[in-house]
Amino acid sequence: MRMCSSQKRTKRNERSIFLIVLAFAVLLLGSYASAQIYLPKAPPEPSAYGRVILQSHVATSPGPVVFDHWLHRSKFTCRLCHVDVGFAMKANATGISASTNREGFHCGACHDGKRVIEGRAVFASCSGDAASNKQCARCHSTDKKSGRKYEYNAFTAKLPAADYGVNWEAAEKSGVIRPVDFLDGLSVKKARIQNREDFSIKAAVSWVKPITFSHEKHSIWNGCELCHPEIFPTAKKGELSFSMYSNVHGRRCGACHGKVASPLNNCQKCHPRGPEWAEN
Amino acid sequence: MLKRENIAVVLVLVGLAVPCNMRAASSPPSSTTEAVEGWQKEFEDVCSKTQDAMILSIDELTALVQKCDTLMPQIEKLDETRKKVYMGRLRMCRGLYAYVLESKKNEKK
Repeated sequence: MRMCSSQKRTKRNERSIFLIVLAFAVLLLGSYASAQIYLPKAPPEPSAYGRVILQSHVATSPGPVVFDHWLHRSKFTCRLCHVDVGFAMKANATGISASTNREGFHCGACHDGKRVIEGRAVFASCSGDAASNKQCARCHSTDKKSGRKYEYNAFTAKLPAADYGVNWEAAEKSGVIRPVDFLDGLSVKKARIQNREDFSIKAAVSWVKPITFSHEKHSIWNGCELCHPEIFPTAKKGELSFSMYSNVHGRRCGACHGKVASPLNNCQKCHPRGPEWAEN
Repeated sequence: MLKRENIAVVLVLVGLAVPCNMRAASSPPSSTTEAVEGWQKEFEDVCSKTQDAMILSIDELTALVQKCDTLMPQIEKLDETRKKVYMGRLRMCRGLYAYVLESKKNEKK
């Protein structure tokens, strides 16, 4: 039996509609998937931002350590802890133990009961019998009845606020905090950094404004060797790829931003005036 | 009688040996102390220039990278924790000098 021309046309129209719907569905799924991959998640409460739970692998240990990054960053530069003391940039990658602390490394580099920071001797870490020492609870404090001394809201009340959490830059500028960058017996005396040129990083997409990267701001707390070459491995212009994908996955800027430094979901923080849609 | 004499000699020798040994144990041999001070001084000297890396010449940077390489075997000999901490720091210094050196060589091309 032969099809008449109107039947053929209807069949063709149905096929075209099907193809359009299919293309639309693919586009929709694609954009949903890319949004899942590239768009940064909203950070947790500022008090929990950068919190690291240091797992203990010793059965007799008083449990994991809860490390609050906000507390320590108010007292020390990033460079001091991650270069001089040798803390890895990833949680649980340093190999901290009670014995290394007692030897004067890792937490014990400051927490030795003798070192004076802000006019007070820093309490000694892992100094006694784990079963009887109440001091253990100051760090090994995953349970709520712990003996932690500092509480986020009370501690940060005197610090200048940012859109999210504390404005650490303003806090240092105003002298409310004075992060220590040198530890006797551990740090090496160095000159001040020179030749810190700011530069522009072009965004991969046209609707996002380029970033003006401040070398000065970043090197004050990080020094040079914390970022180069580990996080930013090449000095050749245009050779290093930046993307939100790498940032969200903890590489490049994401080595700090989105973990401990200002969160990634505030576009305007790095892209001045933000993406074009934000201007309207 | 002979046996008693032997025992007395052994006791005297042991008596002399114990204090000598204790003194040796309480203070590390001078050569070790010197070695420790040697590597630490060298380490501080090499890693004290990281902030100046951008203003150093190609020759200076090359020399610093070489010094880092020379220092590595000495740090390898340290105890585990010390080795881990200082090796990490030395790698960071070396990495930075090599990074700046590469960028300076590229600028020259």
